[in-house]
Formats: sequence, structure tokens, C-alpha cells
Amino acid sequence: MNERIKSVCVVGGGSAGWLAAAVIAARHRQGHEDDLAVTLIESEAIGIIGVGEGTWPTMRNTLRKIGVSETDFFRECDVSFKQGAKFTRWVTGAEDDFYYHPLVLPEGFPSLDLASFWNHYAAGNEAVPSFSDAVCFQEAVCEGGLAPKLITTPEYGCVANYAYHLDAHKFAHFLRKHCIEKLGVRHVVDEVDDVVLDGKGDVAHLATHRNGPLAADLFVDCTGFHALLIGKALGVPFRSCQDVLFIDRALTVQVPYDTPDQEIPPYTISAAQSNGWIFDIGIQTRRGVGYVYSTAHTTKERAEADLAAHVGPAIEKLQPREIPIRSGHREIFWKGNCVAVGLSAGFLEPLEASALVLIELSVEMISAMLPATRDTMDITARRFNDVTRYRWDRIIDFLKLHYVLSKRTDSAFWEDNRDPATIPESLQEQLALWRYRAPGDQDFSSNSEMFPAASYQYVLFGMGFKMDLSERGYLVRDGVRAEEAFRRNAALKEKWTRSLPKNRQLIEKIREFGMQRV
Amino acid sequence: MHLVELSRQHHGGLRLDPARIGEQVARCHMVPLVISEFRRALADFPIVLAKSAETGRFSPYALMGLSPEENLFWDGTRLDAAHVPLNLSRLPFAIGIDQQPDGAVRNAVCVDMESPLVSESGPEALIDGQGRDTAYFLGVQKVLHELLSYKLMTEQFVQTLADRDLIAEMRLNIVLESGKPLVLTGLYGLDEDKFNRLPDATVTEFRQHGYLTPAYAMMLSTARIQSLIDRRNRAEAGDRAWFQ
Repeated sequence: MNERIKSVCVVGGGSAGWLAAAVIAARHRQGHEDDLAVTLIESEAIGIIGVGEGTWPTMRNTLRKIGVSETDFFRECDVSFKQGAKFTRWVTGAEDDFYYHPLVLPEGFPSLDLASFWNHYAAGNEAVPSFSDAVCFQEAVCEGGLAPKLITTPEYGCVANYAYHLDAHKFAHFLRKHCIEKLGVRHVVDEVDDVVLDGKGDVAHLATHRNGPLAADLFVDCTGFHALLIGKALGVPFRSCQDVLFIDRALTVQVPYDTPDQEIPPYTISAAQSNGWIFDIGIQTRRGVGYVYSTAHTTKERAEADLAAHVGPAIEKLQPREIPIRSGHREIFWKGNCVAVGLSAGFLEPLEASALVLIELSVEMISAMLPATRDTMDITARRFNDVTRYRWDRIIDFLKLHYVLSKRTDSAFWEDNRDPATIPESLQEQLALWRYRAPGDQDFSSNSEMFPAASYQYVLFGMGFKMDLSERGYLVRDGVRAEEAFRRNAALKEKWTRSLPKNRQLIEKIREFGMQRV
Repeated sequence: MHLVELSRQHHGGLRLDPARIGEQVARCHMVPLVISEFRRALADFPIVLAKSAETGRFSPYALMGLSPEENLFWDGTRLDAAHVPLNLSRLPFAIGIDQQPDGAVRNAVCVDMESPLVSESGPEALIDGQGRDTAYFLGVQKVLHELLSYKLMTEQFVQTLADRDLIAEMRLNIVLESGKPLVLTGLYGLDEDKFNRLPDATVTEFRQHGYLTPAYAMMLSTARIQSLIDRRNRAEAGDRAWFQ
């Protein structure tokens, strides 16, 4: 068996499908006769879910690689800047309870272990600023409502690391146009009536309504919750993680701004509630707000009331949309000649915006490892499955961490979340180690890590996790370098809160003047 | 700066002292250029691009110093250069844009009433005894006219360079004779390699638009950076001699 892989068919036209087509085509279509053929088929009848509205900073590199202009992206997808997440009322539930998970690494990280010094200084001293404020200037930038760059900063460049908030429907449309016009992706609008397998269990072709059979050497299943290929046709089982993460329902609304010049917070707000949490994401034209909660712990009526309290009077004119969340993922993601990307691969609550980044990482890996022949595809598939499974497990651990560290006692939801029986062993082991030392790169040594040790530090120390450094007290005795780093951070805070523009102001300038490429 | 629209009625008796330009020029290290004066500027200055802090867009400038607020061409009484950029010789006058209530845009000659050049004891006047414009004022009008005439073409030229990805940051790491290192940032120029690989059709298009001469002027003018370094070294040597 030595069949060559000459064509890829992406099934589904949401963010996952178009990102898959774009990333694969940008690498494998170079304008030559022997280019890989890339086709995307999407249904006219089935809409897209369009829930992924928050990205990671990785999206900057993804967009640059596929050759889009960041200016066009801002203008066409209602994009705004995201500099991390502000978690409110996650720790005690009190009014003034908040912490940040910013995107800029702690000052001096990773060569300097500032976290240990901060813990040392903060122990018993109320006057020491919060961890994220003491080690990173981005919290002050966020609290000031400021953008992460200047109008003179080139496209994709930054002063402070950033990601995006975007309109998922417009994003899919934007990518579609780019794929068709610039990357030579063949676009088929048709319904898939059947997925036809060959004798060996590979997908032979799709039986379509109007275009007849659509064959390809590799299929990318981006059919969302339908999981048309990986689930229905190939029967790959779904692995639930609802025993770890209890959220199983979302109520979402799109809230218009009160005035066209209303400030846009440059971060995602994650506001903990009695039985889940509310995300609040500002894009140019509106806020995307959603309560994700556990139906085992509350009722829809109660959830609607909590959502209404967060949104305010504007809720009266809005009809919340209900989306089921089945937390979990496929047992494997690549089977035979079919690989699942996006919601067909799995879904988790959007606590750390993991949906789009997993799509980016998956399609980048598919594109880079694209097997030349069918007989090497199974090796590729195995590696893809190992890496992707590792990534899902790390995300699940990291999401669970937020719940485990909460001290809220106002509902069974929070109490149940701290039940050791619901905490993955890998996370329990990490937490045991971090009682005596800060998370470091040595804890995350795979090439496929999702979150850097810095992210764990921000969540742990933002949520009041206490380390016992007494056995290794000598490590924090000489504070000269640490104090220098704290001072550097204070100076950066002072400099950038003075010179960065307001978030909306910069976005409007980008709309009017554009950003330069250099 | 306090710009007001110039009128015969209000400003007929205005007196000006061009010699006081030094107060505005001495600490100016970059002066904006229009495309028509590139050829003349080339004799003395590197022609560079820099971004506007307001819009992020590129504009061309004559580089006159190697540090902010440094003008290596100002000798205390005059600008030691064959060509004085129009944006200096127009001072204290400027072209203002007047947006009419109906949306129409009108250009108006303005004067900066806070400029040191506006001086009651100044030797120059705008209008002579017969009510005619003085030779001085006619000269100013000519300068303003040239600035206005080439404003749009300059913008289009620079936008074309940006659209074609021909702009690159100039990374200058200079070591002065004193051993002091000097790093210049925020300056941009043409990417010569990319420019020389332009397809024939684009070169023809550039020629038709009159972009080739200014593009080559920019590229050749980088040789003038060495003249600036020489001036800086001479100035520092002079300072050292003074203190010995």
C-alpha cells in the first residue's frame, strides 16, 4: 500500500473548518501544479455554533502565517484586544474579590523565581500588592482600560502580549473569503447525505446532494457537535469529563452597548456565580455574555435570574440562547484517514478560551505532519492522538484548578468541586508538589504543553494558594535580584499606563488609519 | 502654538523677524518633506520615513540630528545646508484646513501668533506702503503653494511604498569617535533588495507616477548618515576642546 496523499477535504465551514483549510493551504499550496488539493464543503442548511469568541495570543501567529492583514481582521471581524482574564468573586465570593490571569509573563520569568519571593514577602503582610500586580505590569494596563499597543506599533507587534475577542460568525466569513481568494481552497456548498467507507474502514467519499461523490485522501471533520465523520460514521466513542467539570449548560446573550463610545474592557471578565460563572467579552459592537452553569446544581429560572442581574436592564429586550455543553472529547481524534478538529473533537467550558487555540494547534500539527502516503498515516495519527489527548488532559487539569482553589462555601456546586474524588490525580500530584515550591518549567516539560508554568502561578497565587517555603528558606534570603525585578515592574507600570491609549480609542484608530506592516 | 487664519484686515501690520527661526529649529532633529524637494534635500540630509504618533502612518523627513532635539545643521545663526526644507522656510505660516459646515474643505493660510518670528521689531512686513504684498510675503506664498501642491502626491507615494511592503526599519548602530554607542530607532527607509526585485510592470507604474526619482533619492540619501555622524563627531570634539 503506497497511496499518495494528494487531496484534503475539510467538512464544515465554522471557525474550525476555515482555520483548518487556511493553515493547510497556506503551507501546501504554493502555486505549483503538484500542490495539495484542499476542498472545504459546508452545508447551507446547518448554521455554525459560533461560540468561540476569545482567542489566545497564538492567534496572532496563526493569522500572520496564513497571510491576512491584522488591520483587515480588526475591520471585518469586530475585533477587540484581550490581555487576559479578570476573575471576579472566584475566591471568597466577596464584592471586591478579583485576580488577573494576564498574558505577559512575570518579570524575570523563567530565569528568576519571583513567585517564591512574592510569597515570602506577602506572607503576613497585607501591604504587599497582589501577585499579578506585583510581578506583571499588564494588570494595571487592564484596570486602566488601555490597549496593549500604540498606533505606531506594527501589525501583530505589541507592547504587552495580547490575544483577541472577535465575532465568530464574521471570523468564519473572513477566513472563507481569504481561503477562496488568496489560498486556492475549493469551496463546495452542499449537503452531505452520507459518509461512505471503503473496505478497510477509511472514508472513501462523501455522498453529496448536488455534487455527487466527493472523494479525498484525508478528511478533516469540522462538523461541530454533529461529529458526522468521527462519531456517526467511524464510531469513535466520546469520553465525558463531567465527573471533573460539572458545567453542562450555557445561556448566552449579545448585549448592545449603551452608547457607541462605551469603553471596551481589554480583557475577558469571568464572574463566578453560585452555580457556575459568567463570561463577559467586549467586541467592537456589543458584549457577548453567557452564564455557564451546572444543571445538577441549579434551575434554568435561577440561572436566568443570575444572568439578568449581571447584564442589567438591557436583558429585558434579549432572548437568551441555550446551548448544551457536553464536557469531554473523543477517545481518539484521528482514525483511519479522518481527523476531527473543533467541536467534533470535544468541548469544554470556555474558562480559559481553549476552543480556538486547540483548533490552531491541531491544524498546525496536521499541516506540519501531513503524511506523504497512506501507509505512514497511521503513525502520524498515533502521534497526533497522543499529543492531542495530552493537551485535553492538561486543559481539564487547568480548568479544574480554578474550582479546586476556590474557598466559596455558598453552594453545593463549589463544595462538590473540591471533593477529592473529582480531582484528577495528575492535578493532585502537582498541587502536592506546589505546597513547597512554585510551579516551574520543570513541571511542564512536554513539547505539547498548553499552559506555561506562569499561568499556573497566576491562578494559584491569585487565588490565595499558600506555599510553605520554610524547608528551602535559603532560596529567598537574598532578595537583591527580586527587588530589582519588582522595581522594573513598577517602572513598566508607570510608563505604560501613562502612554498607552484607551482600548476603544486604538481600535477606532485602526479602523480609520490601519496599522503598518513594519 | 496658536494658529489663526491670516487676514489683511487683522494682520496687515504684522512684522516678522526671520532671523529668529533658530529658536524653532535648533532643537528640531527631523523636518517633514514633500516629494518635490527630495532632490534638493539629498545634497545634505538623509531622507527617512517616520510614523505619526497620531495615525501610525509614514511621512518623509529630512534627518538633521542623531538624537531627539539635536540639530547638527544649525550653526547658531543659520541652517548650514544648501536647501532649507519648505516646512522650515514657511514658518511662522502654515496651511490650515477649514472644514465648512456643509462638509466642504477649504485651505487657509494661517499664522502662529506665538511663534518667536512674529515680532513687532521684525524687519519684514507682509504688505508694503502701496498695499501690495512684499517680496518676503510673496516668497512665503510660493513656499506654501509648493507644500500644498505636493502634499497629496507625497502621501500617495509613501502609501504606495507601504502597500508594496517596500518599507523597512533602518537599524543604525553607530559608534562615535568618543567610543559612545548610539542606537537610532523609529526610522524607516526603502528596502533596496525588495525594490530591486520589483516586477517590470510595477517599475513602469512607478515611473509613470513619478515615483522612481524620489525612491532613488531616498535610497541614495542614506549616504548622508555618515555626514551626520561626522558633524556629531566634530561637535563633540569641539566640546571636548572647550573643556580642556
